[in-house]
Amino acid sequence: MKRKLLSLLMTGAMVLSLAACGGGSTGSTGSTGSTGSTGSTGSTGSTTSEPSATADETIDTFSGELTMWCIATESDSNRHSYEAAIADMAEKYPNITLNWEAFENESYKTKIKAAVSANDMPDIFFTWSCAFLQDFVDAGRVYCLDDAYQAFKSELPESMLGNSTYDGHHYGVPLTMNIVGLFANMDLLAQVGYTEIPGTYDEFIACCDALKAAGIIPFGCAGKETWCVTEYLESVIEKSVGADALNDIFLGRATWNNADVAAAVDTFQSLVTNGYFDPNGIALSNDEVKNNFMDGKYAFYMNGTWNCADFAKNEAFFPKVRVGEFPVINADKAQLGQLIGGPSDTLAVAAGSAHPEVAAQYCFELGKLICHYGYLDGCGLPAWTPYGDTSSVNGLTQAVAEICGNATGYVLFGDTAMNADDARTYLDYVAMVYGCEVNGQEFIDGLTNDIR
Amino acid sequence: MKKKDVINYINVFLFLLPALALFIFILIAPIFKSLYYSFFDWNGMTDMTFVGIDNYKELFTSKPIYFWKSLGNACLLAALSVFIQLPISLGFALILGRGIKGERPFLSIYFMPVLISTVVIGQLWLKIYNPDYGLLTVALQKMGFADLCKPWLGDERTALMCVFIPTLWQYVGYHMLLLYAGVKGVSPDIREAARIDGASESQVNRYIVIPSIKPILKVSVIFAVTGSLKSYDLIYVLTPSGGPKHCTEVPSTRLFEMLISRNRYGMGSAIAVVMIILCFAFALMISQAFKERDIYGK
Repeated sequence: MKRKLLSLLMTGAMVLSLAACGGGSTGSTGSTGSTGSTGSTGSTGSTTSEPSATADETIDTFSGELTMWCIATESDSNRHSYEAAIADMAEKYPNITLNWEAFENESYKTKIKAAVSANDMPDIFFTWSCAFLQDFVDAGRVYCLDDAYQAFKSELPESMLGNSTYDGHHYGVPLTMNIVGLFANMDLLAQVGYTEIPGTYDEFIACCDALKAAGIIPFGCAGKETWCVTEYLESVIEKSVGADALNDIFLGRATWNNADVAAAVDTFQSLVTNGYFDPNGIALSNDEVKNNFMDGKYAFYMNGTWNCADFAKNEAFFPKVRVGEFPVINADKAQLGQLIGGPSDTLAVAAGSAHPEVAAQYCFELGKLICHYGYLDGCGLPAWTPYGDTSSVNGLTQAVAEICGNATGYVLFGDTAMNADDARTYLDYVAMVYGCEVNGQEFIDGLTNDIR
Repeated sequence: MKKKDVINYINVFLFLLPALALFIFILIAPIFKSLYYSFFDWNGMTDMTFVGIDNYKELFTSKPIYFWKSLGNACLLAALSVFIQLPISLGFALILGRGIKGERPFLSIYFMPVLISTVVIGQLWLKIYNPDYGLLTVALQKMGFADLCKPWLGDERTALMCVFIPTLWQYVGYHMLLLYAGVKGVSPDIREAARIDGASESQVNRYIVIPSIKPILKVSVIFAVTGSLKSYDLIYVLTPSGGPKHCTEVPSTRLFEMLISRNRYGMGSAIAVVMIILCFAFALMISQAFKERDIYGK
């Protein structure tokens, strides 16, 4: 028995030794490496001299490296705005080298959380505001930007910092802001006699019926990515119960036990059961649905206004598309101008950064430039006060700006407003609503019980 | 014990020590660390709160955790692996092990899916299952069965099987290679002797080859079952949200959801601990089952 045990141990040890030998030089491999893209700017290259870590260092006197993580991958519509902004910063601050990496959206969430847990974060990192950033702030991993903000107060309205302000302190630099827009293919609408996006809910339903009768699918929605369903559902709920009521629920000031919400969910579900949605959408990703919309398969597509950039790039499709607001369902409680969205894309500075003050100043200036170029590219509306010539902004983004100009209230995306655990529970129930597993009453009962 | 033996033992221990330390550091320590975390409510960033066995209670009793459903799916995948994937692999191994013409190219072809990245395979199968232009949909339409077309990964009646098929397909070659090595190891003399005694090819396989490769079969079954319990990547690529009505969930996807998406490190660790226990339990049971049926009666 002893001999067997010994031989077993030796075999295990040999296997492990071999494995260890084989893997000895592969320390740099990993999933993040394969999905990310990297960049490095600055005149000093990667062999920058040791940074001067003095207490009163400023962005003008500092010489050294800063690191940044973001989600502006090659295929991301924000990629160009990041590249242009970083190039401008490199020109302005030649002594600072920014080593930046971009990661795919979902894998980034995993990566940044792991980095926060291990307190091994880059100097500057992309984050979503509200509950997502709050977890990091609560853990003491984010540098407070109150002091650095003073220099940018005139260009960045304080109201735009609301989603990244905790206990009265600012922790994030907002970039662009986006809302959920009702995008319409006007060519398809024209086929059933509509030259404008219907303004009232009754007209809207009549339009959907006409489209369906003509063999045109009214809505495209990616059921495979539940956040896409929330773009529809939250709009329906908001235009039924009003922005204040929905905000109170998302922010935990009121419970989900609200009969009006149940009725709104039933209204949304009736859109599904009436056959207004592409039945294949449940197995499609958002990119596939968006491509179908641009190919003329759907009349409407409700999604974030960051899509304006992609629509503007598609020369054949761009003249056909128009953006509007989802119509009011219950005029007693909701009104036009109540929108889903707000500033969510944010840059923040790690509290553990070796040069937090420099990183904070750099972060504000970089954020301003990303916002500027993002706005020009049509990736969203500016959280910062626009400057320079903005006449090149595409018509669709300008239409979004007009909608926002008339806004009376914003409700941040539900899965951003809630903490991670609650947000997943919420998304689970949204998926169940879309799959017609639960009705409105079961939806509010379930969320009332299951949200921790 | 003689002095020489003691020195030998010390030498063996010293040689084993680095690998043992590595083994403990990389494998054993994280298991105990997971066990420790599983008794806490912790978001991975802020302070931990001791909750005793509450995470385990919730895991086994709370419907929104979907653990039982995920475990059922993993067991079904394990059963399909053992009763469909392995017989196919064994069949290929027996055929190729006979030394047919083109043995090497066939071996390479069947093994190729194992070499391809799972994400790439997932993307290929996503194209096959696409409800608009997928190969499956188009083939059915061309054959006049358009009525059968559906969003394969979006329908709870088909999603699970659509996820399992590529999972099983990918590793047929892996098990085939293991078994092929065993088949090739059977002495040609024994085969020849059986043939001289009048045994047909199927009888040679049934009474000579298969009993001879039982140790490898055991390893294959253990790999298939524990691999099914741990399966994750392909399922996640095909159905990132767990499929319609969570119908494609397996324990690993629930672990990821709890640990990463929900920031519930305690619950995620509890799932990890249960998975480890299940893998060990199944491995032991399989070993025991094969031991009882040892041809030498031991």
